[in-house]
Amino acid sequence: MQLFHCPFCGARDETEFHFGGEAGNLRPDGADAPADRWANYLYMRDNPKGAVREVWVHMNCGEFFVMERDSVSHQVLSSTSLDGAGHAQ
Amino acid sequence: MRNLAEKWTAMPDWQTAVIDTPSFAIRSVSGLNQFLVSGDLATWSKAWGIALQPVGAFGQAMGDTYTVQVARDRLLVVSALPSTVAQGWHEQGFAVSTVSAGMLIFEIEGAAAAELVARATTLDPGKGSASAAISFAGINAVVYRHGERIRIHVDRSLAAYFWSWVATVGGNIASAEA
Ligand SMILES: [Zn+2]
Repeated sequence: MQLFHCPFCGARDETEFHFGGEAGNLRPDGADAPADRWANYLYMRDNPKGAVREVWVHMNCGEFFVMERDSVSHQVLSSTSLDGAGHAQ
Repeated sequence: MRNLAEKWTAMPDWQTAVIDTPSFAIRSVSGLNQFLVSGDLATWSKAWGIALQPVGAFGQAMGDTYTVQVARDRLLVVSALPSTVAQGWHEQGFAVSTVSAGMLIFEIEGAAAAELVARATTLDPGKGSASAAISFAGINAVVYRHGERIRIHVDRSLAAYFWSWVATVGGNIASAEA
């Protein structure tokens, strides 16, 4: 078991969280977005080794946040809410 | 036609259902209204006329009217009386939804209540958490202390599952102690 930090609830079991994708992968805006832009958004992942920024959601309270962690050591570095106020743990 | 209902254990009568062991007892609590308040909680608290002091996970609630934090911007309000604030969206920035029929409330008491909690969640009951919404016995539940007891709100549709979980785990606790 690993502990993740919800920016609101604090440390919780990893099983209470759901992965929401790489942070910064923004949905194309507008009907004229080209096909390769859509393909990038839908299918292409950087999958970096080491420091990653990811969107996660704490399923029990519904908080969406960006978690910075290390994909090799699994060390969690920070959790910052996506509520616009920047609440962090 | 096959009667599939026979394959399932009958739903307990929640008014009278009890699991009573030498080390703990659990029964449902009736007669309480439950509603969710979402959005600007401070403004709702002024409209309702009670101070905003919500409890989190394993926090200590008292009396028959209190608030439980279930998310950053959402409260579960438990009250003997129905909401005096109208249901629905309010222009001041909050919404009220009655969920009294949506969740069943259970109460656990006794020396082995902590044993049961230890099997239900990985959260340390001594430390608590800002929101009382936690994974408990494998489902999402709202858990806090009320007086000497532990109160648990579960989705009504999952109450029969939760009841069978308590019966099984309670049996395990009893046989471990024997
Ligand atoms: Zn949370």
